[in-house]
Amino acid sequence: MFVSWNWISELVDTTGVDPKAFADRFTLAVAEIEGVVDVAAGLDQVVVADVVAVSPHPNADKLRLADCDLGHATVRVVCGAPDLRVGMRVPFVPPGVTLPSGIEVRHGEVRGVPSPGMLASEADLGLSEEHAGLLELHGCDAAPGTPLCDAVPIRDVLYEIDNKSITHRPDLWGHLGMAREVAALLDRPLLRPSTEGLAFTDADPVSLGVSPFSACRRYLCARFEGVVVAPSPVAVRLRLRSLGVRPISNVVDATNLVMLETGNPLHAFDARHVRGDAITVRQAVEGETLVTLDGVSRGLTSADCVIVDEVGPVALAGVMGGANSEISGDTTAVVLEAASFDGAAVRKTASRLGMRTESSARFEKHLDPETAHLAALRFAHVLLRLSPGSQLVSRLADVGRHVDAPPQATQIHTRRSYLRSRLGLDATQLTDAWMDRALTALEFDVQGPDEDALVVTVPSFRAGRDVGIAEDLVEELGRVYGYDHIPSQAPRVAARPPFVPPSKPQDRRARAAMALGCGLTELVLYSFESESFRERVGLQERGADGDVLPREVLRNHLSSDMTHMRRLLSNNLLAATERNLLHGTRAADGHKGTRVGLFELGRAFVPVDLPREADHPAVDWGLPAPMASGDAASQTAYLANLNDVLREGVQSAVATKRPLPWQPRRLAIAIGERLGGGQDGLVQAPRSLSVALYREAVGAVESLCAQLQRPAPQLARQPEPGVLPSGVTSGPGAVDLRPAWLHPARHATVAVAGRYVGLISLVHPEVRGALEVPAEVVLVELDLDALLSVDTVAERGEAPARFPPSAFDLTLPCQLSARAAALTGALHAAAAAAVDDVDVDVRWVSEFVAEAGGAAADPTGDGDPFPRAMTFRFTSRRAAGSLTDDDVRAVRAAVLRCAAEQASVRPGWAAEVDA
Amino acid sequence: MSTETPAWQADIDATAAASLAAIAAAQDLATLREVEVAALGRKGSVTALTKRTGQLDKSERRAYGAASGGLRKQVQQAIAARRDAIRQATVDAELADLSFDETLPGTEPAGGHVHPLSRVQLELEEVFTSMGFAVLDYPEIESEFDNFEALNIPGWHPARDMQDTFWLESGHLLRTHTSAGQVRAMHQLEPPFRAIFPGKVYRYESTDASHEHTFHQLEGLMIDRHVSVGHLLDSMRTLLSAIFRRDVQVRLRPGYFPFVEPGFELDISCQVCGGPGCSVCKHTGWVELLPCGLVHPNVLRAGGLDPDEWQGWAFGLGLSRLVMMRYGVSDIRLLLGGDARFVEGFHAGA
Repeated sequence: MFVSWNWISELVDTTGVDPKAFADRFTLAVAEIEGVVDVAAGLDQVVVADVVAVSPHPNADKLRLADCDLGHATVRVVCGAPDLRVGMRVPFVPPGVTLPSGIEVRHGEVRGVPSPGMLASEADLGLSEEHAGLLELHGCDAAPGTPLCDAVPIRDVLYEIDNKSITHRPDLWGHLGMAREVAALLDRPLLRPSTEGLAFTDADPVSLGVSPFSACRRYLCARFEGVVVAPSPVAVRLRLRSLGVRPISNVVDATNLVMLETGNPLHAFDARHVRGDAITVRQAVEGETLVTLDGVSRGLTSADCVIVDEVGPVALAGVMGGANSEISGDTTAVVLEAASFDGAAVRKTASRLGMRTESSARFEKHLDPETAHLAALRFAHVLLRLSPGSQLVSRLADVGRHVDAPPQATQIHTRRSYLRSRLGLDATQLTDAWMDRALTALEFDVQGPDEDALVVTVPSFRAGRDVGIAEDLVEELGRVYGYDHIPSQAPRVAARPPFVPPSKPQDRRARAAMALGCGLTELVLYSFESESFRERVGLQERGADGDVLPREVLRNHLSSDMTHMRRLLSNNLLAATERNLLHGTRAADGHKGTRVGLFELGRAFVPVDLPREADHPAVDWGLPAPMASGDAASQTAYLANLNDVLREGVQSAVATKRPLPWQPRRLAIAIGERLGGGQDGLVQAPRSLSVALYREAVGAVESLCAQLQRPAPQLARQPEPGVLPSGVTSGPGAVDLRPAWLHPARHATVAVAGRYVGLISLVHPEVRGALEVPAEVVLVELDLDALLSVDTVAERGEAPARFPPSAFDLTLPCQLSARAAALTGALHAAAAAAVDDVDVDVRWVSEFVAEAGGAAADPTGDGDPFPRAMTFRFTSRRAAGSLTDDDVRAVRAAVLRCAAEQASVRPGWAAEVDA
Repeated sequence: MSTETPAWQADIDATAAASLAAIAAAQDLATLREVEVAALGRKGSVTALTKRTGQLDKSERRAYGAASGGLRKQVQQAIAARRDAIRQATVDAELADLSFDETLPGTEPAGGHVHPLSRVQLELEEVFTSMGFAVLDYPEIESEFDNFEALNIPGWHPARDMQDTFWLESGHLLRTHTSAGQVRAMHQLEPPFRAIFPGKVYRYESTDASHEHTFHQLEGLMIDRHVSVGHLLDSMRTLLSAIFRRDVQVRLRPGYFPFVEPGFELDISCQVCGGPGCSVCKHTGWVELLPCGLVHPNVLRAGGLDPDEWQGWAFGLGLSRLVMMRYGVSDIRLLLGGDARFVEGFHAGA
């Protein structure tokens, strides 16, 4: 919104105030000024000229020659304006002037005819965008040759106000409200525009009715006759233009001037077109239509409020008038509407129809109905000035809820000491007298029953949603006093360590383990899933019984591809893996951009199964703590402290009692490598690559558990789909057991201390085939909350062993059914019996497996049923001395004996090695 | 004394000459070692001569012993001298060799990358905890009550329209601001307290380079007795100076947010020009940073606190915006766009 300093200066004495310097103070105290515009700067040499003769241009059809009287001389210039005619009074720009629009006026020739100067349009002068014709100086009686700026008050400074900063201040949507603020800041009186001396009659303007169920709070009406519709004087037209409103005619301009002055939009009907001389305000009927002033036919609903005559709608309340009752050139009788509509209703109608107008933008702010009354009176004044022959021929009809039951004035009972202490000021800084003066300037009524107590009555235009409690007065005083003059005060600080939940250090360590330790790249992704990706890849989460598990569904969504909340983080990470493999990464990882390793920490959203409510008493119901606690005494105490609006909100929340979904914190990992080839949806991965990626993911999970000081993870395949391995328990909101990407034969559930925390899996072959880039991917989804609930392992500062260890490797030929964990366990037990301390690690695994999917039982086809070679390293130590050769031989013998007993190890192998 | 040269003297001389020549010819320590073994080893030529003592006449043994022992010593000394020479020459040669390319690029260790949002969030969490703030974490799917009513945002408020909020079929919503945690924090912690709660928030609005439907905020809340605008000013200046790691000036402008009264827009002195005005601050010297204010009494009530006893201040910092300011990110959609190359521009140092 633009605010004219000239206009402000008509309402408050601004002598000695530089509007540009004052803009800063205004921004800090009232509303943000986004720009200060100097209007008519650079027009000093432009003068008023009378066109005394017009003649054709000898060489051009569209140009003419204008003889202009400049007072001291007459000059002839070339002019292209179509509206050029003798008798016009227009601005003349002499040569040598560069206009604000950038036009340079020179001594020159136009098509062979000398043209020492030019006649200017509004656009030429930078006053508006209007360039269709010359700026005709209607109503300007200055002598030719007078500087334009002296003849017409066009020199002005405009404040461009950020509308967002005044949404809560309906009183600031007009110059009067802005001037009141300026008056308070300058400590000078507000000069109110006149509302006196209007000769209303006793006659009704029309037969007027307002439905109590409509969004209309107040409707005022008056009738004028003898109106002569004509262009407004140039000063009015330029003022409207500079404030962004198109001048139309004196009658319409009068409604707009009053809107810009008071903030209350008005509407003028041509009385001839008000059928039946009756005006009713009511809810629209479903399916009713109205052609609005912009010529568009609007379909209405019962949520809209309309103004109707005896036949049908003539205006859309608070938004736009109807074309059927528009003021036209031959209008002589005018019915004025000055109304106040419910802000929310106007906002809904305007937004549904996509028509934000100057009017709706103001009514949306929920204007004070008292302002409508002021606006009606001001319109009468302005119209009688702009159309001097007009007469008031009615009373000022005034109906509506606001008139039937006027609201009581808002009073605030507070104490001066309280207001001071909220600002951090004392009585010497914020004196009683200063307080009274500032509040009174803003039109608050201030009474002081005793030295400290205050009873402040809020003016109607600030009451309601703006000012209602003592804290609002703190703001009024603070901003007039100047927040930049308030001394800053260090808070008193209690010396105690702040509460930090264990999830915070967990997050930090997990992130460090993934990025620093495992070399993965962190992504932060949307909480919504792409449905088209899910569909293409066939993603779905299933429960143990095979049912598709529900996700949180959006009621309103921005894209049909984004309709559900994620239940797993890994789905989005899989999509990100695909995208990143498509465009490649920075290739600093030694894989030439064919490999990506990603992770995300964030929340998944798991709908709560209502019937199972009793199982999970800890579920957060979305209620304030006392209401969720179920303790009747604390509930009563809590409710007693609330005001009505809050109590209603709590009660409705209690009544619906909808649990919030589980929102577990999760960690997902995806490591993918691009593959060559693949066709017809079949993409195969080299076995060695699958093993390598899988082991990398396991390594990441192991490192995470170690970093978080949790026991090492136990990995096991689900015995049946959706069934946890025996001895493993799960909690609410746990990672779904059967995501569609789970590879039934190449996955592991991850359990820590017997608690299920998540999954590691290579992607299902069907998923591999559905990706846009052939790739092998391993996915991990871990529930950090579940991991957090497991007790930490104490770390101990043990002295390092004093005697050196001795290590040897053994490679065991195994069946493919062999499991590293089982073998390691057995071998460790055997070795530990022979020596004080031994570590057994899997060093190497190689499989002599035919690539591209040979049969698992005999992959190489050479008949060797023991194609997997597993190399173990045994590192033994004695507590009390160096290992002897005998010790090492004993360990080795124990290990070989144990290996010979393993069904999955080639029989006779131990004997061969021993030989 | 016999002047006749004994017969074995020729063997001694020949062996000495051969050994000394081989020693002198050795150019490296390995060859020298071979020469040493060939001369002095168990089967070496000098050792062979020594072993011959027994075969000689007793009369000759003393002289022969002295000669062969002398030979052994001579060879040992020659080897030692040669070893020192080779060692010295090798070190000298390495020191004199300037062929090493000290400008070779480093090989990159396999370090990963932490997202800049995490990095900034973590850094802020550290700044705030060091100043006694609790760090809290609240749900992203929120109840209507916590996101709106409890924050004094009544039903008629435009923010509650469908246009601004993602609603779920379950009746809940995606929190539109981290302020939704204010009342939760008041119930969770005993006053007086100071707390921040960072996290993801959602707005139902279409995206462009400067608008996202999902972004990150950090809420700050302090509850104490007798909290004033003066405290807010002091706290904000101190906190923001810590965040920006330099002295930051702040100023307050009136701003309307239903859950604070008085409410402010806080500007900071322009971090680019430092005050005189530049294109970043639109030549005002100030940049709008965050909304803040004194906690509205209704919010305190919803949090179970008596506004006559307790007051507070609150602010909402745009984490996404801070990341964009700090790292010169021109398009907000890069933050959650999932392109690893964007994150790879940042190192893991969390």
